[in-house]
Amino acid sequence: MAETSEAQASASGQAGASGQAGSGSGSEDEKRDERMLECNICLDTARDAVVSMCGHLFCWPCLHQWLETRPSRQVCPVCKAAISRDKVIPLYGRGNTKQEDPRNKVPPRPAGQRTEPENNSGFPGFGFGDGFHMSFGIGAFPFGVFTSTFNFGDPRPSAAPRGTAQYEEEQFLSKIFLWVAILFVLWLIFA
Amino acid sequence: MAAMSPSERRLQKELMSLMKEPPPGVTVDGEQASQNLTLWTVHMEGVPGTLYEGEKFVLQFKFTNKYPFDSPEVTFIGSNIPVHPHVYSNGHICLSILTDDWSPALSVQSVCLSIVSMLSSCKEKKRPPDNSFYVKTCSKNPKKTKWWYHDDSV
Ligand SMILES: [Zn+2]
Ligand SMILES: [Zn+2]
Repeated sequence: MAETSEAQASASGQAGASGQAGSGSGSEDEKRDERMLECNICLDTARDAVVSMCGHLFCWPCLHQWLETRPSRQVCPVCKAAISRDKVIPLYGRGNTKQEDPRNKVPPRPAGQRTEPENNSGFPGFGFGDGFHMSFGIGAFPFGVFTSTFNFGDPRPSAAPRGTAQYEEEQFLSKIFLWVAILFVLWLIFA
Repeated sequence: MAAMSPSERRLQKELMSLMKEPPPGVTVDGEQASQNLTLWTVHMEGVPGTLYEGEKFVLQFKFTNKYPFDSPEVTFIGSNIPVHPHVYSNGHICLSILTDDWSPALSVQSVCLSIVSMLSSCKEKKRPPDNSFYVKTCSKNPKKTKWWYHDDSV
């Protein structure tokens, strides 16, 4: 993928262009100094600023939103270095009186909310590492089949009164079917 | 002026700087873009000394309110779609920074520069090998295409 390197080349080209534009009078220099403190995402002066290990400056809210956008692939927007909540440093200027960590302002993301759609590979629950789903899903299947076959074409009310011979018989049969089902599941797992 | 959303603020800033310091051969239709910040038209000239010298192209950028976290939808429009191994005849562009490799630190300007360099490095003018099939079956939005990126020899 040459495209990536092209993008980086053009990003640095852009930086070069803005650098050239900044030379000249004093106010132009000031403008360039301001630009150096701009967030790389919103292009405004960084508020609640944090800096990554690779040295790139962001507003924490901006960076947080980016990390949330691609939780499975957290990279620096500028240089693609690995980046995470714990690997950024909050910056406190002289104006900050409270020195509150900006990372505490944005609530931590709710657990278990995000899954990448690309990871759904057609047969959910049948892959490795999905053992619980697998045994549960298949285990329930024979139960359903057996009970419905058992009741099929049976005219009398389903549950016989407790204590009668018929009740005993039903209990016995359902136990047999339970064991058959368990054996079936074990066979599926170990065969 | 009404309060701008973060995406509008950023687009406004980009528009200003692109109009003030456009990269060579790239012109944004500033009037149209300032009317509707979510739809930009960018004119592009083939770089002298390349296969596209003297040609003029038109790019369309569409932005959602999630920009810059969400990449812009970028297509060639108009009568002259560049003949290039990564550009389909319907104007869709196979360029990884427009989908998988998008980053919010990229901009309209850096996308334009990438496209200029993609065209300029072309050695042979031809359509992608799967052009006719793709054009018949693709979604209108190129971002819905699960691109399988061509190798970088071109
Ligand atoms: Zn920001
Ligand atoms: Zn970085």
